[in-house]
Amino acid sequence: MFGPTLVIGNDILDIGTSKFDNERDQRAIGGGAMIPRFAFGEPGQFDVPNVADPAHFCRNNFASACGNSDANQTVKFAKGTTTLAFKFDGGIIVSVDSRSTMGAYIASGTVKKVIEINPFLLGTMAGGAADCSFWERNLGMQCRLYELRNKKRITVAAASRLLANTMSSYRGYGLSMGTMITGWDETGPQLYYVDDDGTRLHGRYFSVGSGSTYAYGVLDTYYRKDLTVDEAIDLGKRAIYHACHRDAMSGSINNLYHVTKDGWVKIHAIDVNDMHYEYLEDKKNAMASS
Amino acid sequence: MYLTRSEYDRGVNTFSPEGRLFQVEYAIEAIKLGSTAIGLQTKSGTVLAVEKRLTSTLLEPHSVEKIAEIDVHIGAAMSGLVADARTLVDHARVEAQNHRFTYDEPIGVEALTQGVCDLALSFGEGSDGDKDKRMSRPFGVALLIAGHDDLHGHQLFFSDPSGTFVRYKAKAIGAGSEGAQSTLSESYNEDMTLEEAEELALSTLKQVMEEKISTENVELARVTKEKGYHNATTEEVGAVLERL
Repeated sequence: MFGPTLVIGNDILDIGTSKFDNERDQRAIGGGAMIPRFAFGEPGQFDVPNVADPAHFCRNNFASACGNSDANQTVKFAKGTTTLAFKFDGGIIVSVDSRSTMGAYIASGTVKKVIEINPFLLGTMAGGAADCSFWERNLGMQCRLYELRNKKRITVAAASRLLANTMSSYRGYGLSMGTMITGWDETGPQLYYVDDDGTRLHGRYFSVGSGSTYAYGVLDTYYRKDLTVDEAIDLGKRAIYHACHRDAMSGSINNLYHVTKDGWVKIHAIDVNDMHYEYLEDKKNAMASS
Repeated sequence: MYLTRSEYDRGVNTFSPEGRLFQVEYAIEAIKLGSTAIGLQTKSGTVLAVEKRLTSTLLEPHSVEKIAEIDVHIGAAMSGLVADARTLVDHARVEAQNHRFTYDEPIGVEALTQGVCDLALSFGEGSDGDKDKRMSRPFGVALLIAGHDDLHGHQLFFSDPSGTFVRYKAKAIGAGSEGAQSTLSESYNEDMTLEEAEELALSTLKQVMEEKISTENVELARVTKEKGYHNATTEEVGAVLERL
């Protein structure tokens, strides 16, 4: 795909044809060695920087905002979030916050971080909001085509693999995405973690984002496979609450979804500030009784 | 020297002195060998019905599929070279999904038909710049595309190998199309209910089919605003056949 189609000693008869023009253009820009020629339906559905080596350019200017790798970059991505999902006997709970930050500035408090790919598949958003939303919509399109071509719904395993493959094909281009793909398919409830360097993990529970460590603390303590649906909803809610409380980059609304064999349902959207006073009350009562 | 007609029916991109493209005309002839397909438009939905030619008693009837879902709101019936139709149908599905991805809305029925016809017309040698392999000959298939969109309501389009598309209220294609079309002209009216349209579609097929009509050898689909594309089950086809 990236290979140069440059022919040395061009046939003079090609002059004036599109073949000649293409080759001339390739020679004109940066030696023509790294000009990708993309087609629709393949990676490259959107334009890449018009430089000799787009991957190198992206690495230098759009690398992850975490760590020191981007010390010199002009465009800085600052982000933070808490998202979590876990499997239990009653299905899957997906619980997220809704804050979007750009450094110290809270850009939005009403972001939908659960992406409804189709009635049986959910994806979560952590990292670059645009990257997550774009590629998960793209995944939705691929899943629908799969459905039309094969007359059956795609499995979560296959869907998450499609996304992981997309991420692999753009490795090093500076995409930023940490997502959980969940849903119910012919094999039952499934949960996968997929991120921008192409990692794809299958697991019982995951949490992604700057507040994930706090959420993991709650999940590790209280998670059981045999939770009832109400207990599971409460666990999802509390884990997000604690992350929002301690992580400055997480907050606002907790959106919570429950996935069953009939597809997903949205359970609630609660302001974590209201939760704070609710839990404070609980804590007071607990302390009084002990 | 005068060139005979046969000199001009080789290349797909050469007009004859009379201004005809023979290969395209031959492709249109290929459709007349195909099984009959009928489409009807009503105020409450569109109906597609296709005859299945079961050439052997050992053939699995359900493996013959001549009506395809393009998207939730659009379906297509085919007549002619079914393999060619598969290519067009897959292209149509990709067009429909790309439209949803880009605009976050369902594609219009006419826009979808135009997309299919763009591919139908892109046969020939192509230039060196083309990355994709092109079809070297015209597609030997006609499609009836039925669907619903918010702008123009229920619609039925007919597309042929020349890349032309026309909107019809009722249209028959395939081997029995001449007889079927005249039956449709006599019996169709715009105020038909969807059920009446299904009955007319199947009774017209019944007249032109060589085999005795049964739930096995016809395929029926409808597109409504409420439920979108729906391929009729054997029971549903049986229910319509009983009403005839």
